Amino acid sequence: MKPSAAARTLRWVAVAAIVAWSVGPVIIGVLTSLSSEVDVEAVPARWIPHHVSLAAYKALVLGANTSLGSTQADSHAFGQSVLSSLEVTVEATIVTMIVSILAGYGFSRLPFRGSKLLLWGVLATLVLPLFTLVVALFRLMVQLQLINTQLGLVLVYLSSSAPLAIWLFYNYCREMPAEPEEAALIDGCTRFKAFRKVVLPQMRSGIAAVTAIVMLLVYGQFLIPLLLGSSPSTKPVTVLITEFVGKYTTNYPLLAAGGVIALVPPTLVALLLNRHIRGMLSGSTG
Amino acid sequence: MTGAALDEAAAPRVPDRRPPRQGRLALTLRRESTWLGWWFVAPAVIVTVALVVYPLVLGFETSIHAQAPTLTAPSKLVGAANYSDVLKDPNTVSATLHTLTYVGIALALEIGGGLAIAVVLHRAFRGRGIVLAILIMPWALPSVVSGVLWQRIFAPDNGLLNSILVNLHIIHQPEVWMANGWAIPFITLVHVWGVLPLVALILLAGLQSIPDEVYSASAVDGANAVRQFWHITLPLLRPALAVAITVGLVQAITIFDEIYVLNGTALNTASVLMQVYNSAFVDADFAHGTALAFLVALATGVFAVISLLASRRSTV
Repeated sequence: MKPSAAARTLRWVAVAAIVAWSVGPVIIGVLTSLSSEVDVEAVPARWIPHHVSLAAYKALVLGANTSLGSTQADSHAFGQSVLSSLEVTVEATIVTMIVSILAGYGFSRLPFRGSKLLLWGVLATLVLPLFTLVVALFRLMVQLQLINTQLGLVLVYLSSSAPLAIWLFYNYCREMPAEPEEAALIDGCTRFKAFRKVVLPQMRSGIAAVTAIVMLLVYGQFLIPLLLGSSPSTKPVTVLITEFVGKYTTNYPLLAAGGVIALVPPTLVALLLNRHIRGMLSGSTG
Repeated sequence: MTGAALDEAAAPRVPDRRPPRQGRLALTLRRESTWLGWWFVAPAVIVTVALVVYPLVLGFETSIHAQAPTLTAPSKLVGAANYSDVLKDPNTVSATLHTLTYVGIALALEIGGGLAIAVVLHRAFRGRGIVLAILIMPWALPSVVSGVLWQRIFAPDNGLLNSILVNLHIIHQPEVWMANGWAIPFITLVHVWGVLPLVALILLAGLQSIPDEVYSASAVDGANAVRQFWHITLPLLRPALAVAITVGLVQAITIFDEIYVLNGTALNTASVLMQVYNSAFVDADFAHGTALAFLVALATGVFAVISLLASRRSTV
């Protein structure tokens, strides 16, 4: 059944609309970040800057507070926040992956009396909105003196992203063929050695997908670091850029440049692992 | 001896119903796995108890005590008083109405848009992989960054939307969008920008699980594309739709970041979570903030269970 010329044209229009909707705001952000102050203040608004300027990026990276109006851009603060974001994301992702690979495998392949109940107990926390815990976590972190520390943030990210990762790995392990592991056991491997040498390599693509999803989730956190990690040494870039939004006037090029820099890491992760991510996201729901 | 059992275990999606393994190997495995299983799941259980269950208990305790002047001061047990205070608070009422508006608009746009995207991307065409990769980009970005990217579009004075509408003579004066009735719809639009890819992917996976034969059979019976969509696609898509609605619902009820970036803690756009933030952290009243958070969690849980039950009934 061949689609008619009209149907093909219609589909291309629709596809173009999907692409425009998805990248439009990013392009507007990039154009804004390259605008000079004259461009953003022009009436009517200029979509494409007449005077391309890197002043906003220079202000963020070099701290040159040039002709950018009242917003203070402390270079050190911005660089530091990007670094903290990346650091905490990597740390939290590694810990989450270790905990949830073990749990996902254990719950699916090593069942014991009561393990189903325990599994559902852990997964039930998936439906629990994070903000029910935010106030209590804040008090807990203050008491443990983990407030405004990377360790505190990593622990909270671990508890908030592990249930989803465990659920994904649990399903993944159940659908994975069991023969290679059984063969290794028959050949005399211990259970743990079979897990390390046979099952882990077998889980490679699932691990790639969940790593990407957890990284994106953790990197995008806002409310948790706003409350638990807003000191200069732990403040992530998501919290810092909201400070560029002025109460009365906003320095749009600076704000947009901050946004553009902040979107680079997640964009790279999403592009590099997009096949894995898509498979996991749509598969996890069936 | 174990050949049949192994085949059974290898079959995807139904390993739960695999028959119990027999033979000496299986028996040793079972005995060994009892304590080994505990070791594998122990870290996850400890994390859940320490950082979810314990805070949950702490939070509940906070919500039934009067707010003490300091973190360590003793406070009086007041039972459900904080809960009834919160329910009577006019700010809670308006935040609830706002949240229902966010949820309604978001779900309508996400399900409508998601279905449209899924239908367009369902059939193979050249470049489909690239389009799918581009599609998930907004989902991958932090919601704060989405808010930042849309900021200038909704800016007052010479914002991009104002400029277009003034040029087209649709409005005469630039509007302050975040202060008028468009604030909530526009914030929802930014929210939808980030969630739509996920909803579209779920619905796309649902579409692709419908076998082609169903369509060819109905085509023979003389059904046209529109009738096929209403009478075949939509009913068979129900499980995927239920999941998509649950995901969209939970995300929209907990909307916070986009509001914070585009309009701060302002009351005219405050969602219930913004109200929790305002009362717990701006007014430093943990007791009432937590009580409200628990009420919202309860409502979210009830909604999620209802929509998941609806999906279960239709799949089995």
